[in-house]
Amino acid sequence: MSADLGAATPPTPVAEAPERTGGGVPAPRESASTAALAAPAAVAHASDRGARIVAVAIALAWHVAIGLPAVLAARAEFAAPVVVLGGWVLVLAAGATAGVLLLRGTPLPPWPLAGLLLVVDAAVFAAAGERQLFTAGNWVWGTLGWFFVLALWGRRVAGLVALLTTHAVIALVAVLGHGSDGADLARYVMYVYGTFSLPVAVFVGSAAIVGLARERAAAAAAMHTMAAERDAAERGLRERRDRLALVGAAAGRVLGELASGQADPDDPEVQRRCVLAAARLRRLIAESDDVPDPLLHELRAAVDLAERNGLPIDLVTIGGPPPLPVEIRRQLADPLTGILADARGWARLTVVSGPDEVVVSLVTPDRQEPEATGPPLGDHDDGPVQHLYERDGDIRWAQTRWRR
Amino acid sequence: MGTDPVAEVTGARPVGVAIVDDHPVVVEGVRAWLATETRLTVLATGDDPDEVLRAAPDADVVLLDLRLHGRMALDKLAELSAAGRRVVVYSEHTDPETMLAALDAGAVAFLAKHEGREHCVATVLAAASDRPYVPPALAGAMVGDPRPDRPMLSDKEREALLLWFQSMSKASVARRMQISEHTVKQYVDRARIKYTRAGRPAATKAALLARAIEDGLVRPEEIGIYRSQATHDRPTP
Repeated sequence: MSADLGAATPPTPVAEAPERTGGGVPAPRESASTAALAAPAAVAHASDRGARIVAVAIALAWHVAIGLPAVLAARAEFAAPVVVLGGWVLVLAAGATAGVLLLRGTPLPPWPLAGLLLVVDAAVFAAAGERQLFTAGNWVWGTLGWFFVLALWGRRVAGLVALLTTHAVIALVAVLGHGSDGADLARYVMYVYGTFSLPVAVFVGSAAIVGLARERAAAAAAMHTMAAERDAAERGLRERRDRLALVGAAAGRVLGELASGQADPDDPEVQRRCVLAAARLRRLIAESDDVPDPLLHELRAAVDLAERNGLPIDLVTIGGPPPLPVEIRRQLADPLTGILADARGWARLTVVSGPDEVVVSLVTPDRQEPEATGPPLGDHDDGPVQHLYERDGDIRWAQTRWRR
Repeated sequence: MGTDPVAEVTGARPVGVAIVDDHPVVVEGVRAWLATETRLTVLATGDDPDEVLRAAPDADVVLLDLRLHGRMALDKLAELSAAGRRVVVYSEHTDPETMLAALDAGAVAFLAKHEGREHCVATVLAAASDRPYVPPALAGAMVGDPRPDRPMLSDKEREALLLWFQSMSKASVARRMQISEHTVKQYVDRARIKYTRAGRPAATKAALLARAIEDGLVRPEEIGIYRSQATHDRPTP
């Protein structure tokens, strides 16, 4: 700062400083956090929708294109063809309903659907007969796993594994019940492996892709937010530098005149210029928010305005206000900015903010003359904002307080 | 300020003060402030804490500019406090984080450079007798402390801190809260004493706490059980 004061800056009218600051303070941001949260969710939703379409398509296509011809071709060979075919139709109906509802985002209750599928599973195994046990005609081998995937979409993989295990147990009972040899058991193991691996892979893979999409979208959104905040911060920094140059020049001129003897330290006008320059410098130093909050922005604008009248003002902020509706901000700031415009001598404006409370206070010296335009004395509530105004002979003290 | 925290320090010898600052003009300014108070005497000044304390090993209070040669001297502050030196930090860096970090490191008090002579003298005198003094800027930092492990303050203590920060007048706070100025100071000081339990232990914090108990400002059974302190709202007589 001392470098600025000493620098040979061309004289600038003091009155220009507030004009610059009044219009030039960077526009405050509204909360970006909601957008930052919504974007990853939307991307994850879109990604999940794609995976659902794939799962529904696989299940129905397999059931119709591969299951149906095999069932029809082998229908004479089944022990109870009606049961096998009826099961197929029932699963087609239930699976199509489940698929459509899943795509609409209102899935069927998973466990009743899974129960129905397991009942059909057991019935078809019993009705297929020994010779059709391992043929394509026993459609439950190939198809049912995919409908399990539809039934349990979006849930944990353990449920799917449990259903597939139940399916494997049912198949084992059927295989043993139909009287089996070593070759049958080997075939059984192979089939179980086949029915397990693909549905589980698709189920886990789609969940992982959705998770990855969400993470990447979140990272991208965070980067955008950061870039926006960085831009605003850089703008704020530039503005602050400009103001520092102006305020520094004004302070430097007073100091220079004092040093050269042109200005008299006892002259009230010189003292007033010193006090004003010091207050402005202090306020610049105290500005710690990188991206201005809307409430602080409004208060600073009012402070800049009052400073044009030559009023030295301390503005001290503690913490950052949470995002507040315009109405609340107005109720917090307006009563004080009105008094500030009317203040003489000095003023101290403080803002203490927490997540659930914002307290703004303005203290000015009490003047003897009766109140012309001031607000009513005492305290009253304006919705969620409490107003308090009092004069005690020493100070005039106005406070607005919002509590969540 | 409404109080005389140093009734007992007015004994035989004046309080010795060491000033550590890297701006000679500030050293001279502070020296001039302290010279208006006969109970204070400046023993040594300089821009290196170790050299200053070698020159004045008996200093009762060290006034330390937190920013020395472009660096924040928080480590030095912690070292001095651990060794039992009563350090009053004064700084133009009045952001709440810095002030609370200074308290955590063991500073007896934190004074903003713009807070002026009256607060400076009162702070040094209080520090010399291990008594708390909370200037308005520090009150603001304490009342806005966002840290999850901050000390639990009672409603009255918070309100007194907030109003003191806003108005800088204990008389006005007393009128507003409809209590005596003495009680306002007790609420503020009790809040400060609770901060002796924050951060790492330091000899200075123990001394503040011991003196507060001795003075009846806090009760021994209140120490260390912060959750219950919200109910002990009544100031001690």
